[in-house]
Amino acid sequence: MPVLPDWVVQVCQVLTVLMLAPLISGVIARGEAIVQQRTGPRLLQPYYDIAKLLRKETVLPGPAGLLFRAAPYISFAGYATVPLLIPVLTNYGLPLGYMGDILGGGLILGGAGFAISIAAIDSGSPYAQLGSSRLRTFGALNEPTVIFVVFVVALTTHTDLPYVLGATLRASTVEVVRPSHLLIIAAFFMLVLNETGRIPVGSHGGTLEFGQIDEGRVAEHSGPGLAFLRWGGSVKQLVLYTIFANVLLAPWGVASSGRLDDVALAIALLAVKALAIGVVVIVIECSFAKLRLYKLPEFTVASFMLAVLAVVIFLFQPGFGDLRLTVFGAAATVTAVVVLLLELGMLRSQDVWEQLGLYALGSAVVAALAIATAASGHGDSSLYVLAAVTIALKALLFPIGIRFVLRRLEADPRVPSTIGIPSALLIAVALTAFAFVVIRPIHIDTVPALPLSALPVAVGGVLVAFLLMVLRPYAPSQLLGFLILENAVTVASLVIAPGLPIILALLLLFDLLIGVLVFVVLVQYLATERTAVRTDMLDRLTG
Amino acid sequence: MSWALIALGVVPLVAVAASFTCGWRLARAATAVAGLVSLGLAIALALAVEHGRTLSSAHGWVRLDSLGAVFLLATGLLYAVAGVFSVGYLHADEQAGDFGRFARRYFVLLNLFGWSMLLVPLASDFGTLWVTVELTTVISALLVATDRTDAALEASWKYVLIASSGLGIALLSIIVLYATGTHALGDAYLPRFVRLIAHAHGFSIDAVRLAFVLAVVGFGTKVGFVPMHTWLPDAHSEAPAPVSALLSGSLLAGAFYAILRFFQVAVAAGERSFAEHVLIVFGVVSLVVASLFVLRQSNYKRLLAYSSIEHMGVIALGIGFGAPLAVAGALLHVITHASAKGLAFFGAGSLLRGYDTKEIAEVTGAGTAMPWTGPMFLAAALALCGLPLSGVFRSEFQIVCGGFAEPQYVGVTLLIVFVNLAFFGILWHAGRMVLTPVAGGDVARGEVSAWLVAGMLGCLFVVIALGVHLPGDLTALITNAGHRLAAPAR
Repeated sequence: MPVLPDWVVQVCQVLTVLMLAPLISGVIARGEAIVQQRTGPRLLQPYYDIAKLLRKETVLPGPAGLLFRAAPYISFAGYATVPLLIPVLTNYGLPLGYMGDILGGGLILGGAGFAISIAAIDSGSPYAQLGSSRLRTFGALNEPTVIFVVFVVALTTHTDLPYVLGATLRASTVEVVRPSHLLIIAAFFMLVLNETGRIPVGSHGGTLEFGQIDEGRVAEHSGPGLAFLRWGGSVKQLVLYTIFANVLLAPWGVASSGRLDDVALAIALLAVKALAIGVVVIVIECSFAKLRLYKLPEFTVASFMLAVLAVVIFLFQPGFGDLRLTVFGAAATVTAVVVLLLELGMLRSQDVWEQLGLYALGSAVVAALAIATAASGHGDSSLYVLAAVTIALKALLFPIGIRFVLRRLEADPRVPSTIGIPSALLIAVALTAFAFVVIRPIHIDTVPALPLSALPVAVGGVLVAFLLMVLRPYAPSQLLGFLILENAVTVASLVIAPGLPIILALLLLFDLLIGVLVFVVLVQYLATERTAVRTDMLDRLTG
Repeated sequence: MSWALIALGVVPLVAVAASFTCGWRLARAATAVAGLVSLGLAIALALAVEHGRTLSSAHGWVRLDSLGAVFLLATGLLYAVAGVFSVGYLHADEQAGDFGRFARRYFVLLNLFGWSMLLVPLASDFGTLWVTVELTTVISALLVATDRTDAALEASWKYVLIASSGLGIALLSIIVLYATGTHALGDAYLPRFVRLIAHAHGFSIDAVRLAFVLAVVGFGTKVGFVPMHTWLPDAHSEAPAPVSALLSGSLLAGAFYAILRFFQVAVAAGERSFAEHVLIVFGVVSLVVASLFVLRQSNYKRLLAYSSIEHMGVIALGIGFGAPLAVAGALLHVITHASAKGLAFFGAGSLLRGYDTKEIAEVTGAGTAMPWTGPMFLAAALALCGLPLSGVFRSEFQIVCGGFAEPQYVGVTLLIVFVNLAFFGILWHAGRMVLTPVAGGDVARGEVSAWLVAGMLGCLFVVIALGVHLPGDLTALITNAGHRLAAPAR
């Protein structure tokens, strides 16, 4: 098998990104259309668009100058430079690969965006300027998240080179399932959604002015300039996906040498990873509504909080020792973090139906943990019973039953928080960090393979559940807060004492007792035909 | 004697079955009989274990030692008296349309409640203990809501959520303790008290401390420690009077019993002073806050509820002081508080039947309008304040003496100051209710039912008897239980 010289591979990196990018955009657009039961554009439509635009003539607005004409090419050059710096196809640095670190790459991406924004102002069109200023306003809020993600990378690897982080993860797979790393994955994913203008931040390709952030800026461009802007936009998206996949999430499957088959395999795998991320994006775009403009900072703040929490957790987690990676350990840590993230989602949500859905999802994740525990040989088969009961009761019966009762009561689905969402998230982050501080000195002498760093995450989940109960003076939300508290306790017990019969029996009994209570009390409410299920009324009884 | 352990778990269930299947007249008779039989069994069991024997049955799943027997006595007493008192308490409603259904539901739940609380001291491992305590929550929440008024439902809702969340924390503490024990006891073992205590010296200190604090917070929610007490006044004021008495005298104490089991493990692990400090902190905070709240109450059932928080604080302080005299006083206080608070809540229930209001300001001249209830309510108030001749005086005096002996001057000073503050508050309110002239003439003269008086007299007898002369057997029992707390390995 021929071995390609390094510079050829480097050229391949750039070409792969440039050629693959429109396809990813096309797949996402098509996938969304299918989910929404439309026919949608062809998969290759972005290529046709670019080809068509390249053949068209350029129409310039009156006040446009040199800057306006140059901006598409400057930005495209910027987007095409970044693939040189990141591990697109290889796990080793190629020529020019070390000319910039993560911050350097970010700077180039930012510079490319800046050129487009300046061009929008140069066009003199108020519409384009509005898009530009909007993007700058919200884009500026993303910077802290980027910085904190870089902090975690730097703390892990003592450098901020993307190649090194990938190598660190490959050398010690356990790094991937550290709570701090999982949190920066979550934070970075929110950042990617934000930067690529996806729902819930912006909507792609729509014509409604309010939905557009990215699209508004390029309104005045036409012909080859617009072609390069469109192309550049999809290249930027693929570059971010590549960083997400090949640096943070799964730095495997890249070529370790210049052999032709290795490189070809790496190209194929990159496409697969990017498509997988695309599928997740499709699901998100089709299941959430776009946030109102003035709610956007909440989303950004949320990703920032996750990144901050990641740094804090990183500083405290060495106390939990090096854990060996097992299926169970990875599952437990991922579950604990996912349950925590879902709780933060419930804390953010102002809608009781959405909270119910998040709770059901969390219960399903806990059930999956029970199954993974049993399947990896850490507990006996009674764990399957726990999983079955969890799914039956907590993922299906409770949410459906609560939904039924609330519909019968015609309860108001809006459950606003008593304090602002960013403050609530800040308190939640502080509580989770507090759990790490408290539990760090505790040495629980059990099997060394136990994922003990998942324990403080789960305890943090318990505290956040309390927070939810405190911040929502509505009976349904408080009930859900209590139920997720129980989920967090289940995760904690599976982490410390997986598959011990007595604990399992207790958990099962707990579930059943809670089930009885929930329904008896709810039915009592139903019996008295109360119209408003608000616990504010309890003020009558204070003192 | 181990047959009595089983019998104790069966007798209330027989009453449940009777209440479920037969008419309400039989149900109420069965409840009174079951309560009295349970009390008899509890006394018999207490006599059997008073010198340090432990009884066990059902392959070790059921176990009773002197520490558990103290709490068993308190529950047995209140269950028996509540059964008798309920007969009179429901008398006023007998004309109502669906009284039969209501009474049967009430008696079924009351017996279940008594049964679940009798089970708490019989548990032999932390898992069963937790399950039984959670069971008491579930059943008592339904009892609190039994009147089906808006306020009762809300109180029940608040109670369920807060108490169950607390028990979630308690479960976490059991899990932590359990995980710590796996090192010494193997991967799958039953967390029996005896085994954990025997191996506690090898446990990780930090884990034992964490487990103890989590247990005090978790079970402490049900004990009513401030600041986890917020459910307590609502539940106590909205529940029917016999249930309030059981909640206050027995349920709170049962949750405290669970904390004492963790205390034993902590002592065995060499963390005695840490555990005592935790209890002193929670005790002092509860005492201070509750006695301040007592002063400004306008609802006499809530007044008694805050007095319960105060007394739980006193018990926690007694254990926290650590001197044998104070520990014995605290254990005695469990029984004396149960009897005195039972008397007070029964009196309050009788007043509620007579005056149909829970407002202190609207109850005047109870001394003349209700010639039995008024004086006995006043006697209960005096007893709760710790006046001599009542058992509460004896137990509080022991706690104070023990505190001076230890010496824990700060704790004792706070105890004396705030108990006196509560003394003033309770006496002020009770005096205004009982010793004033009757306002308006429309209040029914006399008692609603002789059964009410019988129940109260029973409690009053115990309150005075414990104050005048402590039976030798009880002294032996409490001394032995105190030894178990001081050196659990024995």
